[in-house]
Amino acid sequence: MNARRYGAAGTWLLAGLSGVSIGALVLLLGFLASAGLAPFWPAPIDELQMQDGRILLGEIVAAHAAGMSEAVAIRTSERERVGSAYQRVRVRDIAARSQPADAIVITLIDGRRLYGRHDAQDETALLAAAASPADALEVLQPNALGVLARCGVFFNRLAHFLATPPVASNLTGGVLPALLGTLTLVLLMSLIVMPFGTATAIYLHRRRGFAARCVRIAINQLAGVPSIVYGVIGLGLFVHGLGGGIDRLFYADRLPVPTFGGGGLLWAALTLALLTLPVVVVSVEEGLARIPGSLREGSLALGATPDEALWTLLLPAARPALLTGLILAVARAAGAVAPLMLVGVVKLAPALPVDGVFPYLHPSREFMHLGFTIYDAALASADAIRGVPRAYACAGLLVGVVIVLNLTAILLRNRLRDRYRALET
Amino acid sequence: MPGNPATYTSVLSADFIRACARARRRRERLVGAVVGVCTAIVLFGLLAIPLFLLLGLHPGTPLPAETWQRFEVLLAGTLRAGLCGVLVALPLGIATAMFSAHFCAPRLRAWIKPALEILEAVPTVVLGLIAAVTVAPWFKVHVASVLALIVIIPLVLLAAGMAFGEQVRNEGWLPLWLLPLLIALIALVLGVGARQPAAAMIVAASPWNAALVGLALGVATIPIVFSLSEDALFLVPRSHTDAAFALGATRWQALTTVLLPAAGSGLVAAGLLGFSRCLGETMIVLMASGNTPIGGFDPLHGLRSISAELALGMPEAAPQGDVWRGLLLAALLLLLLTLCVSALADVVRERLRRRLRTAAHAA
Amino acid sequence: MSSAVSASTTRSAEADAMGNADVALQTFVLSLHYGARQALCGVDLAVPKRRITALIGPSGSGKSSLLRCLNRLNDEIADARVDGRVLVGDTDAYAKDTLLHDLRRRVGMVFQRPNPFPLSIHDNVAYGLRLLGIRRRRELDERIEAALQAAALWDEVAARLDDSAFTLSLGQQQRLVIARAIAVEPEILMLDEPASALDPAATLRFEELLHELAQRYTLLLVTHNMQQAARVSDFTAFLHQGRLVEFGDTDALFTNPRERQTEDFITGRYG
Repeated sequence: MNARRYGAAGTWLLAGLSGVSIGALVLLLGFLASAGLAPFWPAPIDELQMQDGRILLGEIVAAHAAGMSEAVAIRTSERERVGSAYQRVRVRDIAARSQPADAIVITLIDGRRLYGRHDAQDETALLAAAASPADALEVLQPNALGVLARCGVFFNRLAHFLATPPVASNLTGGVLPALLGTLTLVLLMSLIVMPFGTATAIYLHRRRGFAARCVRIAINQLAGVPSIVYGVIGLGLFVHGLGGGIDRLFYADRLPVPTFGGGGLLWAALTLALLTLPVVVVSVEEGLARIPGSLREGSLALGATPDEALWTLLLPAARPALLTGLILAVARAAGAVAPLMLVGVVKLAPALPVDGVFPYLHPSREFMHLGFTIYDAALASADAIRGVPRAYACAGLLVGVVIVLNLTAILLRNRLRDRYRALET
Repeated sequence: MPGNPATYTSVLSADFIRACARARRRRERLVGAVVGVCTAIVLFGLLAIPLFLLLGLHPGTPLPAETWQRFEVLLAGTLRAGLCGVLVALPLGIATAMFSAHFCAPRLRAWIKPALEILEAVPTVVLGLIAAVTVAPWFKVHVASVLALIVIIPLVLLAAGMAFGEQVRNEGWLPLWLLPLLIALIALVLGVGARQPAAAMIVAASPWNAALVGLALGVATIPIVFSLSEDALFLVPRSHTDAAFALGATRWQALTTVLLPAAGSGLVAAGLLGFSRCLGETMIVLMASGNTPIGGFDPLHGLRSISAELALGMPEAAPQGDVWRGLLLAALLLLLLTLCVSALADVVRERLRRRLRTAAHAA
Repeated sequence: MSSAVSASTTRSAEADAMGNADVALQTFVLSLHYGARQALCGVDLAVPKRRITALIGPSGSGKSSLLRCLNRLNDEIADARVDGRVLVGDTDAYAKDTLLHDLRRRVGMVFQRPNPFPLSIHDNVAYGLRLLGIRRRRELDERIEAALQAAALWDEVAARLDDSAFTLSLGQQQRLVIARAIAVEPEILMLDEPASALDPAATLRFEELLHELAQRYTLLLVTHNMQQAARVSDFTAFLHQGRLVEFGDTDALFTNPRERQTEDFITGRYG
């Protein structure tokens, strides 16, 4: 009987710890979703009547419980620049607090916000004091909006976030360049890693000799190398080595300003290709190995050489595995920030890596990256109160994309498994 | 009669076959060459990593003495972060793997595995963000409560298991039923703990410290430890556990007497690989550790890891200079450290596979 | 009776049995080792042209291994070692300068379970032709139609050549695989228990097809089913533990076997 009790206790311990793991995941994703979407949801405007007679109108952005006294930070009308009008007040100094239905907030293109009351001042008068009417991006009466209208504002802001470049040194505005930079980087990386990864997987599938074993050991060890070391290699070998060499050979007239000798899209793509190589090789090799041997024998019996069997039958049949490998590589690359910090990502790039000027893709340019924007907005931004929600918005976007990619890969993998189970029956 | 042999003419003459054979041979050789060249390039790229690091250090002038002192601090910091991370990841990951592989209802397992794969996919920069910005201020004042939780949760689980465990018929969905209990417990401990004045005595010197890094690193590493442990447990043939059941063992007894001894080295390997991953992680440490080069083993102080040093120092360092070479050496050290740990894990895992293979032959 | 004497009597008896038919394929003292285990031992087999020869014997006697030696599929197995000679027509199959892929084209094989490729019906049959370099659409279509006609499958699939091969029933898939094999004009077609996955109705239709095919191709059929061997084949070879025990005209072998082992097997005393 005692043994059974101990067994039950142990089982409950394991189950509980599993619950903690799952709970942590759910909490993490839930928090990320809410923190990532919150900045887009129209927040109410509060009017604080202070005990000393001041009236503060604006959005409450933070609540602290600092020791014994609670305090709130409220963002009021910004006449000079973004983030210049935060007021921190103690809760006990507040006499009255309300959310007037006619309060308006005007968001300007440069990110500043102006708060006012609809009946007390005209919107235009408010604007005239701080800017011209043409600068107004959004005019809202958030306290009077219904749920449907709020959703409208939400999607509007989301679209704006995705489709416009940032302003005011990355404090506000959209993340279009970072998004474009990330996409271009990932595309270029895929173009490099897929051919080489597939070729290596084919080589490992066909040959068993000493060289093949070396390659296999190298690939397996590669998977364990820290990502920052890839960055070091990228910086030293690609940027300074290859890039410096190219500069000396082809762009010597432009030195000492580096063309390829500094960080850029090409070197970043190459570094990430090296990083994600094991993922592709493992996925393709697994796909090839999973094809039933009867198919291969049937091909050989018809007079195909083993290599022909591979190219005409096995590789096409392994297409889903190739696709899975690509998706997993892209998902891994989208989240790798550390190596990029060394090989070409910048806080604010002067130009997009893709534009309308020939040759349309400029692999030598520095670029912006969504993951790096998160790091920068959270830790290095000038205005922490605005930087953090912005970082969360980017994080939500990045995680959303990565999760969609991984789910697609999982679904593909399951379909692959079912398809080949059907083949064998 | 279809295909009357008398009228059917064959065009597949010997000459045609021979001509085609020549073309096929040529094509095959070309394709083989392309594949070989690509693989050679890949191999060169792989070898370039350690080679570059070694060659970069070559110029003979010895490094200044401060560099070695710095290494010590950085190494201590890296190890401290790694240990804290592993302390969180190992219990959670291995426990989840044991439950999922042996007790879990199949329908629940079909959700657990993809869920943890998704956790693995979350970029570490995001985890670092949450840790550095949201958790850090909260954790600074709640250290005592969290420590209490780490002790209380397992004890409560064990006690509850001893009291009610035998009444539960179907253990397969237990984590879901236990979740409300755990949430209530956590809320209780945190709520009560915040009021105690004694708790205020254990306050972190800085909001960014090794314990915080350990929490975030641990969460990031749970999926790897989980999937490797689960694989190791599944490697043990069903026949072994079936034999235990046939002799009247409970599920728990089968786990402790058959599964764990057989797959033990696999679990060790999983832990080692998780540790290796923690050692090499950059973004979480960069964002949540404060990057203060403090040595020692106090979990409530900040730290600076080798990877953070590389990320912060390399863009500024002038190539071929002393700082540059020092950083290259640091990169080499980090590489060697992580490769040694994963090589050790591979050796342990190979031993597991070999033992199970001979067991399968004997069975 | 020593084995050498019995071997020579077997051979002369074969010569009598075959009469004037030519020999499509011949083996000389063919032996096969998988590592330390011997699977075939000194097999001397002469397969007559344009006839159906059945290979019977208990499981494990080496029938399938023998087939795989004839088209050198055993080369794919790492520790397989073949001694002796295999003559396909005038070609030594194991000579150094023999084109392996051409040998396999000439000695076609149909496996126990139908293994169509995950392609359309059209592309399945076209596979071998494309390997040979035949690419023009019209020529491919003509040859595919001829092959499917010969496999008695054309009427059923003519309207849906672009459908996946997996939409066919097992019996149809087996015929598709035959069409695929004969599209490249083999001299010999080896079938390894081809009807074992089929139901009785499909099996009967299949046996009719075999008769038709035998008018153009030499067929070497491995079967577990002795009644099938008796129904279908012209000649029968009995293999036991890697040795060719008896070879002769089917009717003669089944009604009046020369060897004691053959008689024991046929009457069901073992196997």
